[in-house]
Amino acid sequence: MKIVASRNEAPGVKTLKLEFQDPADHELFKQNYRTGMFGLYGVYGEGESTFCVASPETRKEYIECTFRRSGRVTSALANSDIGDLITFRGPYGNRFPLEEFYGKNLVFISGGIALPPTRSVIWSCLDQREKFGKITIVYGARSVADLVYKHELEEWEKRDDVDLVLTVDPGGESPDWKHKVGFVPTILEEAAPSPGNCIAVLCGPPIMIKFTLISLKKLGFEEQNVYTTLENRMKCGVGKCGRCNVGSVYICKEGPVFTAAEVSKMPQADL
Amino acid sequence: MTRILSSDKLDNCVARWRKAGNKVFGPVKKETTSSYAAVESAAEFDLGLILPDRSVKELFFPQTEPMMRYSIKKQAIDTEDFQPPIEKRIIFGVRPCDASGLAIDDPLFGWDYKDDFWFKRRNNSVIITIACTKSDDFCMCTSLKLAPDSTKGADVMLRPLQNGKGWQVEELTDRGREAVKEIADLLQDSAEPTAPNAMVPEKFNLDACVAWLRNPENFESSFWKEISMRCIGCGSCTFLCPTCHCFDFQDEGDTYNGIRRKNWDSCSFALFTMHTSGHNPRSTQSARWRQRIMHKFNYFPGKFNVNSCSGCGRCSRQCPVDMGITETLQAISTLQP
Amino acid sequence: MSTQETYKTKVKELLSSGKVKMVIGYKAGTTADRRRPHFMRTPEEVDQLVLDSACITNLSGYLLSEGLLSDGKEIAVFLKPDGIRSINILAAEAQLQSNQVVVLGFDINGSEISALQGERASDFQALTSSSNEARLHKQQHPESARLEQMTPAERFAYWEDAFSRCIKCYACRQACPMCYCRRCIVDNNQPQWVNTSSHTLGNFEWNIVRAFHLAGRCVECGNCGRACPVNIPLGLLNMKMTDEVLQSFNHYPGVSETQEPVLASFKKNDSETFIL
Repeated sequence: MKIVASRNEAPGVKTLKLEFQDPADHELFKQNYRTGMFGLYGVYGEGESTFCVASPETRKEYIECTFRRSGRVTSALANSDIGDLITFRGPYGNRFPLEEFYGKNLVFISGGIALPPTRSVIWSCLDQREKFGKITIVYGARSVADLVYKHELEEWEKRDDVDLVLTVDPGGESPDWKHKVGFVPTILEEAAPSPGNCIAVLCGPPIMIKFTLISLKKLGFEEQNVYTTLENRMKCGVGKCGRCNVGSVYICKEGPVFTAAEVSKMPQADL
Repeated sequence: MTRILSSDKLDNCVARWRKAGNKVFGPVKKETTSSYAAVESAAEFDLGLILPDRSVKELFFPQTEPMMRYSIKKQAIDTEDFQPPIEKRIIFGVRPCDASGLAIDDPLFGWDYKDDFWFKRRNNSVIITIACTKSDDFCMCTSLKLAPDSTKGADVMLRPLQNGKGWQVEELTDRGREAVKEIADLLQDSAEPTAPNAMVPEKFNLDACVAWLRNPENFESSFWKEISMRCIGCGSCTFLCPTCHCFDFQDEGDTYNGIRRKNWDSCSFALFTMHTSGHNPRSTQSARWRQRIMHKFNYFPGKFNVNSCSGCGRCSRQCPVDMGITETLQAISTLQP
Repeated sequence: MSTQETYKTKVKELLSSGKVKMVIGYKAGTTADRRRPHFMRTPEEVDQLVLDSACITNLSGYLLSEGLLSDGKEIAVFLKPDGIRSINILAAEAQLQSNQVVVLGFDINGSEISALQGERASDFQALTSSSNEARLHKQQHPESARLEQMTPAERFAYWEDAFSRCIKCYACRQACPMCYCRRCIVDNNQPQWVNTSSHTLGNFEWNIVRAFHLAGRCVECGNCGRACPVNIPLGLLNMKMTDEVLQSFNHYPGVSETQEPVLASFKKNDSETFIL
């Protein structure tokens, strides 16, 4: 795939916009991609790395991916320029069942670099806004600089059909920060979205998920109405290489999207 | 009366199979270690081994396999896939546990994406199994509900004769019949009785173990920590195992040209599941050993209806610290489910 | 009383008095000739302790298990002279503090074992410091001698054949008390110094890199060679490196914990004959 645009989101975090080179591949992607799925992005000579497709299922002319430069592959991806070719395998995995969300209120809760998978669902919903009820987005990061998709956050903030709650960890605020300061679970409890006829979509680092699930329970959300993605290390994406399973569940085939009810049945020690 | 292949005809068979375009493999001891290796004559076989140090898995799923070649040009990237080998192979003298291991892994390599490298080799290979008349302290096929003369995964079964001078021949599959046809005139009819199977005592109660493993309450049992305390975290048990199939992809080359390879990897290694953030879902050696046992006797059978263990005992036999599946399952079978 | 029984009494005392939180020793293994590492935390567990001439594994590496020594409490471990030297090196390389380790010393002579007197690694100074001299006059291993007689091409072919058998399970590394790096060089991929693939080249790279990293540090305990599931004679490689370091720098590792790591320290009169 060819890199047609790139954007620095936050220190070390970059978004690449990719276009298919082979129309047949593109056609397959259009047929198969639904929000929540992931892919393996690669640079020859360095290898492949797994992350979600950050663009929504309502926009399939391109793929966007957002990642933090941290290892060998992500460094190579970050060093790529517009016009460079990279590889994509996918889309793999299951999806957020958007049809089941129709007519319901949605709360998106996300932390740090986990906004990309949430953002894919958010735009998939906003692009067909009339099908959903009230939409609330709670997003937090360590510091103001670490917030990703800053332009889109501004856009969501301006929309009157989206409630956006932004927060940064204590100490991460800048002098002109107008939003909340505090950890996501606390801020979520303050925002107190009503659990009635509501679906929560939760993506974040394991520790944030753990505490946010407790907050959601306090707010009265039932486990089957809370969706999350588990993104374990993967190499093959097709159920063979042996890394991603949590208990008997192969994340690459049966996930990455699970309800909290499904997650709570997994062996917690291996999450 | 049954058909017999006599030992002194084996070399003729090897020559015949080779002449018909087959590559012939079998147990070979070289220097200090043994494996299933290509031979030119039957004299190279070591059929007296209880079983080779290395399993037959590596003839189907090698420790490193080139998948594709890439070359990066100014405006494009050229890639070329390596094709799965299509050579015809006769693998002679495979032990029943090793042959079973192949059959156990078939559904894994076949679900979702069908692994051509595995199946092309499977379809082009004839597995000629020899039933075991000898065993050692580590053999445990019977504990896995298999036997020293299991036919699972075999195309032809050979049963050693009591007089030690040959084998009774039984074809099991079309591939097997084809291979035996090529040597049909070298076989003879005989009433010579076959030697008794090796005695392999049952070492643990598999059903009791499986029941214990399936109980979610036991996942965080202190048992795992105790049993794996001396595990040093090497990959020898997984790499020698005839059914362990975990792998990694690695690109090797310079900036512009190189090869993407599929390499053996192991759930024993700390970095196997490490996230880029540093979070590691299986962060301790006991979590990793639990994964190995759970995968073999709980998760894998849950998916494919078969335990991912054929009882060869290599994990215990070659473990640097004398651990292994046998000890763990023996201990589990004494616990309350 | 046999050495084993004497030690059983001593170990029970160590545990019941609370002097140490754990004793690392041996117990019976799957077969008559095998011994397993045995971790004792209660006097009851001492009943299974076995100490005999089959107890050849160097157990010192277990001391560096993550978090084991971090509470400052003492641990006792059964060690032969090579293991005691390991403790000296680990202390010299700041991996542990020798006053946290109670040495239960023993030696094997044929089928007999004898106890070595002392509590801390430094108590065995007489033994460890004589090891330098002993190593200098030790008769060469017959296989080493055979290798020395070979032409470089023959020797290369020998190791090419040996390393072609390697499956990169890293049992050698994991069994080695000196391979304590939390992240080994083969696991570093920025850049990828060593090919992780297990082809002959990758295997050469791995085994040679490991031999280099052990030069002047290896106590020749033989853990690596015994751990190797495909029986590569790794000990020969390490013995050769030990010979080279001994001849170039008169350094035999593990003599005391104040001994400077030879390849990490510089002396003005160091031999430079190896610099081309």
